[in-house]
Amino acid sequence: MPVQEPLTRIVLMDRQELRPLRDLSYSTRLTWLAGAALLWAGLIFGQLISLQVIHHKDYARLAWQQQEMKVDIPAPRGPIFDRTGQPMAMSIPVESVSVNPLKVPDMGVASEILARILHLDAGELHNRIRQAYDHQRGFLWVKRKISSAEAEELRSLHLDWIDFATESQRHYPNGTLAAHVLGSVDHDERGNAGIERSLDAELRGHAGQELMLTDVKRRGIDSQVAARPHAGAPLTLTIDSRIQFAAERELAKGVEEHHARTGSVIVMNPYNGEILALANYPTFDPNEPPKPGDDGAHRFDLAVSVPFEPGSVFKVVTLSAALETTELRPDSPINCYNGVLRLPGRVIHEAHHGFGVIPMHEVLERSSNIGAIQIGFRVGAQNMYQYARRFGFGSTTGIRLPAESSGVVRRLDRWGTTSLASISMGHEVSTTSMQLARACAAIANGGLLIKPKLILKDGDSFTPTAAPVRILKPQTAITMRQMMEGVVISPHGTAHRHVHLAGYTAGGKTGTAQIFDLKTHHYTHQYNASFIGFAPVTNPAFVIAVTLIGTTGNGGMGGAVAAPVFQAVATEALRVLDVPKDLPDAEPQPEQTQPAEDDDDADDLAIADLGSTDPNVMEETAAQIAGAEEPAAPETGPRVPNFRGKTMRAVVEEAAALGLAVSLDGSGIARAQYPPAGSALHEGERVRVEFAR
Amino acid sequence: MALKLKTDWILFTTILLMVFFGAVMLYSASSVMAQLKYGSSWHFFFRQLAWMAVAISAMMLLKRTNYRKLQNPAVAFPAVGIALVLLLVVYFADPNHHRWIRLGPVVGIQPSELAKPALVIFLAFFVTLRARAINTRYTLLPAALAVGLITAGVGVADLGTPIVMIATVVAVLFVAGLEWRYCMIALGMAAMGVVFLVASKPYRLARIVHYFDPDYKIVDTIDPKGRVKAYLNTSLTSRDTNYQAEQSKIAVGAGGPLGLGLMQGKQKLLYLPEAHTDFIYAVVSEELGLVGSIGVLVGFLVILWRGLRATVLIPDDFGRYLALGITTMLVVQAFMNMSVVLGMMPNKGIPLPMISSGGSSLVSTLASLGILLNVSEHAG
Repeated sequence: MPVQEPLTRIVLMDRQELRPLRDLSYSTRLTWLAGAALLWAGLIFGQLISLQVIHHKDYARLAWQQQEMKVDIPAPRGPIFDRTGQPMAMSIPVESVSVNPLKVPDMGVASEILARILHLDAGELHNRIRQAYDHQRGFLWVKRKISSAEAEELRSLHLDWIDFATESQRHYPNGTLAAHVLGSVDHDERGNAGIERSLDAELRGHAGQELMLTDVKRRGIDSQVAARPHAGAPLTLTIDSRIQFAAERELAKGVEEHHARTGSVIVMNPYNGEILALANYPTFDPNEPPKPGDDGAHRFDLAVSVPFEPGSVFKVVTLSAALETTELRPDSPINCYNGVLRLPGRVIHEAHHGFGVIPMHEVLERSSNIGAIQIGFRVGAQNMYQYARRFGFGSTTGIRLPAESSGVVRRLDRWGTTSLASISMGHEVSTTSMQLARACAAIANGGLLIKPKLILKDGDSFTPTAAPVRILKPQTAITMRQMMEGVVISPHGTAHRHVHLAGYTAGGKTGTAQIFDLKTHHYTHQYNASFIGFAPVTNPAFVIAVTLIGTTGNGGMGGAVAAPVFQAVATEALRVLDVPKDLPDAEPQPEQTQPAEDDDDADDLAIADLGSTDPNVMEETAAQIAGAEEPAAPETGPRVPNFRGKTMRAVVEEAAALGLAVSLDGSGIARAQYPPAGSALHEGERVRVEFAR
Repeated sequence: MALKLKTDWILFTTILLMVFFGAVMLYSASSVMAQLKYGSSWHFFFRQLAWMAVAISAMMLLKRTNYRKLQNPAVAFPAVGIALVLLLVVYFADPNHHRWIRLGPVVGIQPSELAKPALVIFLAFFVTLRARAINTRYTLLPAALAVGLITAGVGVADLGTPIVMIATVVAVLFVAGLEWRYCMIALGMAAMGVVFLVASKPYRLARIVHYFDPDYKIVDTIDPKGRVKAYLNTSLTSRDTNYQAEQSKIAVGAGGPLGLGLMQGKQKLLYLPEAHTDFIYAVVSEELGLVGSIGVLVGFLVILWRGLRATVLIPDDFGRYLALGITTMLVVQAFMNMSVVLGMMPNKGIPLPMISSGGSSLVSTLASLGILLNVSEHAG
C-alpha cells in the first residue's frame, strides 16, 4: 500500500514514466476485482441452472398456462326431421358480438354505441366491461345471436375492438308443430326439453378443440386444431308432420269447443310402437325462449309426464282380464242391478239410468259401471292387479322423452275393500296418455305390448324396434277389438254417434273420470274425457288416445268430447297413410239417433265418490239389487241370420241387435259364415264371419 | 506504425460473433412488436443493421488508432465536455425522458451512452496523471466533481447507466490504489446519490420497493396512511413492476436446457416488456435454452479475460486504466443486465451490450471495444 507521498514528488513526477507500476497492491487488487467478477458470473450461472434446469418444468407450465388458450370449436347440432324428411329443427348460423375490454379505448363511449345499436342498457353494459377490464379479461360477450341488421350496422362502424363470432341458433321452421316432442334448447344450444333433451348427446355431437397461442392481450397469434369437431347426428322422428298437424288442430278445436283446460292426443302404430303424432294443448313455440314469470305449464309434455285417473277406458283392461281368466264371453250375461250397487261403505250408481241383465259386450258398449264392477269381481283382485301391470300400467313405457311418469297402480297389499271395484272402472289408478295408447295398441295388434318409439333413424341407421311382449292371447285381443267396435257401431254404444269413419271400421272406448282435487280431497265436477281407439278394426293401422282434461257437464263426457277428436284425427291419418278401405264406399249413413237417446253419451261416467247418498235411496236400491240378483232367464237360442254380402258394420249391428256373438276375420264384405244361416246357435257359441274384398 | 501489431483475434472474433448473434436475436425478439407497432417485422432489425455498420466502422477505426493518442488533455477534457453539453442539451430537448436527441425522424442518439467511453478515457487519463498521488484531495476532489457531474447528468434520465459508471470509476480507482476509506466514502456517496435518484422518480422507487416487498406489507406497517403507496402508484400500477421480473423468469425457465428453438419463443408476444432491449437475454434464454444463455455469459467472460490480460501485460499506466475501465464497464453492464433478467436484482433499465437493440449503445460499446482491441494488440 503506497504511503501518502509529499506533494512535491508528485509535481516532479515524470508523466512519461515507462516503468510499469507493478507493485503487490496493484496485482492483488486486480485479482480481487477479477475474483468479484467471476463470483458474479458464478451466481448468474447458478441462477441459470436453477431456472432452466431445476425449475424448468414449473416455468414451462406457467408459460403454457398464460400463453395458451383452449377454444372450443362448436360442432353443428344435428337437425331433426319427421318421417317424411320434413325438417322439424335445425341450426342456423347467427352472429354474436363480443368486445375485448382491454382494447376498448373509452368504456363510456363504447357502451353508449353498443347499447344504442343493440338495444341494451348502457349503464349495465358499462359495468360489465369495467368488471371484465378489472379482471384483465380479454373477452366479453356483449349480445349473443343478434339480428343481421344489427350486425350490419355494427360492422359499418369499423371498430377494431368489436369482434363478431358466428354461433349457431336452433330454428324450428314449423313453429309450434310437435313442440312437445321436439322440446327446446337453451342459450348454449343444450337441449332442455323433449327430444332435444333426451337425445342431447347424439344431437350435440362433439365439440372440437383448438389450442390458440395468444399474446398478452389475448389476441390469437397461432392456433392448431387439437380435436376436430364431430357434427351431431341428424335424427329422423317417427312423427308424421301431416298427422301431427291434424292432431294438434283437432285437439285445439276440441279443447276450445268444450272449454277444457288441457288435452293431449297420441297417434301410434300398434305393431312397432312408432309414434305418428303426439300433441298437447296448450302448446308453445320452441323458437321463443321462455318469458320471465312464465310458469312453464305450456311446456309440459302432458301426454307422457302427467298421469290422471283414466276412468271408463280402463274397463278395456277389466274385460280383457275377464276373457282370459274367467269363463265370461262377450255375450255372457252380467247383472247390472238396475243402476245401484251397494258395496261396503259405498253405493255405486250408473251415471244415468240403470240396466238389468245385459251381455258383457253391452257392458262395454254402454260403459256400465256396475257391470264392470261385477266383471271385476269375477276376475278377482289378484288377476286384476296382474293384468293392469301386464298392460304396462304403473311402469314407464320407455319412450325417449324426458320426465316420463309411470302413473300409479297400487300394490295389492295396499288395496282397500272397494279398490277392486274402483279399479275395475278405472279409478284408484292413474295412467298417462302414452300408457293408454300402448295398452290400446296391445289390443289392436293381437295382444303384444310394444315399446313406444319416437326415433326412426339416428344418423343414417334405423333404430331397432324393441321386441314386443305377449300379454294377451290373440283370441282375446280379437274379441276385445270386436267388442270395442261395438262401442262405436252399436246403437247404444257410448261413441256411437261420434265416431264415423267413411269407408273404415273403427273400435274404441270412451272414458270420463271425475277429477280428484288434491286440496279438498274430493272429486270435483270437472272431468277428464278420454277416448282410446283404433282403425280399421281387423287390421288396425294406428291407435289413437285422446284425453281432454277439465271438461264439465254432460257435454264433457268422453263420447261427446274426445270421440269427435278421434274421428277427425283418424280420418286424416287414414287418408295420409293411404289405408285400404274395409267398408264399401256406398255405405248407408248411420241412422240418425233420436234426441231422447242423448243420455247414452254420458253413460261412461265412472262414479267415484257418492258416499253421502241419502239412506232412503240406499234402501230402495238395495231392494232393487236383491231383486235383480236372480240370473236372467236364458232365452231360446236365436237363429243365425244370413250375414253374407253384408258390410262388417251391418253384420256387427245385426248381430248386436240379435244378441249374437260374432267373430270377424278379414275386411270388406262378408263372404262366408259359420254356422251357416238359419242354424240354431248354442249357448256361448259364436258366429264366425269371414270378410273379403 | 513501425511496429507490426498482431490483432487479438480471440477478442475480435468474439466481438463480431456476439454482434451478429445479437442482430439475429434482435430480429427474433422484436419482430412481433415491430409488426404491431410499425407494420413491419423487420423494423428494428434493419435499423440495427444500419447502426451496426456505423458501430463496426468506428471499432475498426479505433482499433487502428494508437490508443496513446488518446492520452492527451486535448482529447480527454473535450470528450467529457462534449458529453456534458450533450447531456444538458438532451435535458431540454427531450423534456419527458431526457434521453433522446432526435436527428430527423429515424435517427436518435442517447448522450448517456456516448458519455460512457468519454468517462472511461477521462478517467484513464486522470488516474494516469495522478497515479502516485491518488489518495490526495487534489486528485479526488476534481475526480469526484467530474464523475459526479457526468453521473448526475446521466442520472436524470435513467438509473442503470450511472450505477454502471460509478461501479467502473470505483473499480478503476480501487485498482489504482485508492485507500479503502476513500473507496468506502465513494461508495457511500454513490449510494446516497442512487437513493436520491431512486426516490426522485416514483417508478424507480416502486421497482426497488417491489423487489424487496412485493405486497407492500412493510410499507403498510411503516406508513399506515398510505402516502408512500400513493406516491409509488402515481406512475405505474404495482402489478407492472413485479410483472416484468415474473415474466422474465418464466421466459428463462421455459427455455429449459435446449430452448424452444430460434424464433420459437412465446414470451416475446408482449408478455415480456422490452423484449428487444432490456430483456433480450430472456428471449435468448427462452429460444436457445441453457446453451444460449451460457454462451452469452461465456462471451462476456472472454472479453473480461482478454481485457484483464491486456491490463496486466500493457506496459503503460494509461493503457492499463483504459483497458480496465472499458472492460469493467462492459462486464458490469452485462452482468447487471443478466442479473435483472434472472430476477436477482431490481430492474435498472440497462441494455445488454452488443445484443440489445439501440444504436447509441452499440456504437459506444464497439468504439470502446475498438480501443480495447488496440490496447490488447499493444499488450502483445
